[in-house]
Amino acid sequence: MNLSVSSKSSLSEKQRTGLYVWRDPPASGGWNMAADEALARRSEETNCVLMRLYGWHPHTVSLGSFQRFVEFSETRELSHWPVVRRSSGGGAIIHGTDLTYGLAVPSSHDWSRGTEKLYAAVHGALVEELRERHLSAHMVEATGKEAEQNFYCFNRRAFGDLVVEHASATSSHGNHKILGSAQRRLSGVVLQHGSLLLQRNSHIQGKGSHIGLGEVLPTGSGSVNDVVDGWLQRLADCLHGELIAETGPSYVTENKDISTRAKKYESTAWLQRR
Amino acid sequence: MEKSRRYAKSHEWARLEDDGAVTVGISAYAVEALTDLVFMQLPDVGTTVTAGESFGEIESVKAVSDLYAPISGTVVAANTDLPSQLETLGSDPYGSGWVIRVQPDSVEQLDALMDQEAYDKLTGGE
Repeated sequence: MNLSVSSKSSLSEKQRTGLYVWRDPPASGGWNMAADEALARRSEETNCVLMRLYGWHPHTVSLGSFQRFVEFSETRELSHWPVVRRSSGGGAIIHGTDLTYGLAVPSSHDWSRGTEKLYAAVHGALVEELRERHLSAHMVEATGKEAEQNFYCFNRRAFGDLVVEHASATSSHGNHKILGSAQRRLSGVVLQHGSLLLQRNSHIQGKGSHIGLGEVLPTGSGSVNDVVDGWLQRLADCLHGELIAETGPSYVTENKDISTRAKKYESTAWLQRR
Repeated sequence: MEKSRRYAKSHEWARLEDDGAVTVGISAYAVEALTDLVFMQLPDVGTTVTAGESFGEIESVKAVSDLYAPISGTVVAANTDLPSQLETLGSDPYGSGWVIRVQPDSVEQLDALMDQEAYDKLTGGE
C-alpha cells in the first residue's frame, strides 16, 4: 500500500510547489480514465502536483473500482448509458453536467500522507471559496458505512464530502452534496478523482438526479467558472506555489500511451471485474 | 533465518513459518491508517507474485490501495474468510488477519525487508 510514510525523511527537501492544471476537452470514459492514469505516472516521474479538469462525451456513468457491475446493469434508468469503471473507489457518478478532476500527488509530497489530508486540502479550498461567495458549505466529518452502500456517489455521505445548505434540499441529509472524491493510492503517487456537479442533468431522473452548483450559487456571487478559478487559485496557495495553467490538452505528447492504457478501461474484463 | 516479522515500506509484513512458507499480512499501522475497510480482493492459490508488485487490492471508504508482495514466490494459501470479515485485519493483524501464504523463491529475500525496529522508526512508533 502507498501510505507515503516513507516520505517523512524527504519532507525537508525542496519540492517543486506549483499546481499544474490542464483543462482538457470532453472525452470518452475509457480515454479519461487512461489519461488520468498517465497523469499519475507523470506526477511520479516529475515529482510535481498535476491536475486535469475535464468533461465527458458522451455523457457516461462511472463505477467505483469495486462496485458490482450488476448494480449498474439492473438500474433501469441507466440502461442506455455508456459506462466505465474507475480505478478509484466510491459510488457511481453520472457524468455530463459535472466538472471532473484528476489530481496526481507524488508520494514525496505532504498531501499524499494518509487518506484524509488530500481531501481536506482539495475540498477545504472549495469550501472557503463558496463561503466567500455567500454559499454555506462544509465538509462531512463523520463516516457512516451504511450510507456508503448507496449505489450513487451523490447519495452517499462520507468524510470529506462537500455539501451545501440550501432551501431546496429535500434529501434525508438536509443538504446537497456537490463535490465527491475518491482515491487510488498507487506505488509512488496518489490519484484523486473528483466530480463537481455543475447543474442537474436533465437526461436522468429518479435517484440519480442531483442538483448542481449552478442552481444553488447565490445571485451576484459570480459564475460557476469564477468559482472554479477561485478554487484552483486557493489550491495553489495551499501549496505555497504558483497556479500554472497549461495550454493545450494534457496528453499532447502521450496520445499513444493513453490509447494503450484506454484498452484496459474499455475491456469487458475490467468493466465486469466484479 | 529468524522467524520474526519483517516489513516492506509499503506496510505489508512477512513471517517465515516452520514449513518454509512465508505468511504475509498488513501492518496494524496501515490498517488503522486505511480506516473503514469495505472490500478486499485476494489472489488465487497458485498465483505467482513478485516482490514489489501488486498481488491484491483493498478498498476503504475513500481510497483503493494496492497490496504489494514483500517477496517473490507462489501463493499457496489465501485467507478467504478475510474479505467477509475485514474487521479481523484490525483486531488481529498479525494472527487471524493474515492475508496470503507464499512459497518463496528464496527465503533470503526476507533480509531485504525491515525488522521491527526499522519499521517502527519509519512509522514514527516507539
